[in-house]
Amino acid sequence: MTPKSENGFCDDKNFSEFFRNHSKLLNNYIFYKCGNIDLANDITQDAFIKFWNNCKKVIPNKAKSFLFTIANNLFLNEYAKSKVVLNYRIIPKLNHTNESPEFLLEEKEFGDKLQKALANLSEPQRIAFLMNRIDGKKYKEIAEILDISIKAVEKRIHNALLNLRKEIDHI
Amino acid sequence: MKDNYFLAKWLNGEITEDELLKHVSEEELRTYKKIVSTTKNLKTPNFNTEENLEKIKATKVKSKVKKLSLFKYPFRIAAMLAVLISSYYFITNKTTSYTSNLAEKTTFELPDNSKVELNADSEITFKAKNWKNARELNLKGEAFFSVKKGSKFTVNTTLGAVSVLGTKFNVVVRDTYFEVNCYEGLVSVQYNNEVIKVPLGSSFKVLNATSEFSDSNTETKPSWLQNNSSFKSMPYKYVIKELERQFNITIVYDLKNENTLFTGNFTHTNLEMALKAISIPLNLEFKIISNQKVSLY
Repeated sequence: MTPKSENGFCDDKNFSEFFRNHSKLLNNYIFYKCGNIDLANDITQDAFIKFWNNCKKVIPNKAKSFLFTIANNLFLNEYAKSKVVLNYRIIPKLNHTNESPEFLLEEKEFGDKLQKALANLSEPQRIAFLMNRIDGKKYKEIAEILDISIKAVEKRIHNALLNLRKEIDHI
Repeated sequence: MKDNYFLAKWLNGEITEDELLKHVSEEELRTYKKIVSTTKNLKTPNFNTEENLEKIKATKVKSKVKKLSLFKYPFRIAAMLAVLISSYYFITNKTTSYTSNLAEKTTFELPDNSKVELNADSEITFKAKNWKNARELNLKGEAFFSVKKGSKFTVNTTLGAVSVLGTKFNVVVRDTYFEVNCYEGLVSVQYNNEVIKVPLGSSFKVLNATSEFSDSNTETKPSWLQNNSSFKSMPYKYVIKELERQFNITIVYDLKNENTLFTGNFTHTNLEMALKAISIPLNLEFKIISNQKVSLY
């Protein structure tokens, strides 16, 4: 993560490496926020361009949270401007096992319920939870990216699970 | 415990299932496990890292080219500068003008608070923007100036220029008649490459290219400011024209009288009184034909 050359993130190689390490996560982060694939893609692009334009100002160990802050601001601007319709949707992986039809149906039903419950989570809870579940990020890393404490990440994930369970069991 | 996020701790492998069961029921645990296993298999939209990286690099290069291209085309810069410069000149060269119509007098202040009183049918133009650097204006007709002390103040006319540092003076330019009266301080008049100093109480008069200097003026203000026009040995045609201006009328008269010298004055408030004042000395009679027309015979 720490740039190797004197130029920091202005160096082409360092920037490319930084991009390869974090672009997918950033894209997912915006996607978790709004559920809009195209918007997530656009904002990821713009955020990295902005990041590069400001590469001289970036402090290496704050780079990640700086990037996510840029993206968040871009999202807020865009959202405020166009009032993007939240179309939250995560694609469940297809089960290609030889399970029984009943089991598959049950799985599908559960998947739908989970989908709805995820959409109903508060944004911070959803982001923290999905970063951990889908992107496999450790609490510490999530805390760093979102610029919050580990305790706060735990709280969000704890409440996310609690709310998901309540919603699924009550449907 | 308030801050015990056991679900998060369990998810992170910090506590075991058994420990979690102290807080949740078996039923609940089953749902939690299902949520965890299902979310693990969720997929997010495809994101092609390399393709996106190339796109960003392309925009980066483009923006670099844009920056350079401005300097590649000197015409663009030249055009930009031309627009800027011409608009600057347009603003600074904009002239302000004050005019008074027939039978009307106007008073106004210049940017430095100097006061100008315009007699009927007169005009003053100047560049307001540039006033601080050069107190200079153009005059057609007649005006009385009360100039604030400061840098040189110049009144340009078709017949000569009047410059002062701060005084009260009156300037008249009508056809070939040019007169400067000084009521305070000192005025210098430039006429035909000559500079004439006109001190307090004096006047400089040019009529048909012959100049005359007099120092017998005792008034503190030109008479027209008190709605009265006074003349001293003026050709009759100038008197008639002044009367026409003050009342916005046309006077028909015998042209054989036009160069007769007239001394006297007339009021601006009463047409009949004024007509009497100018007709009696020449043994003439007048007749008001209409609102706009008077005949002298």
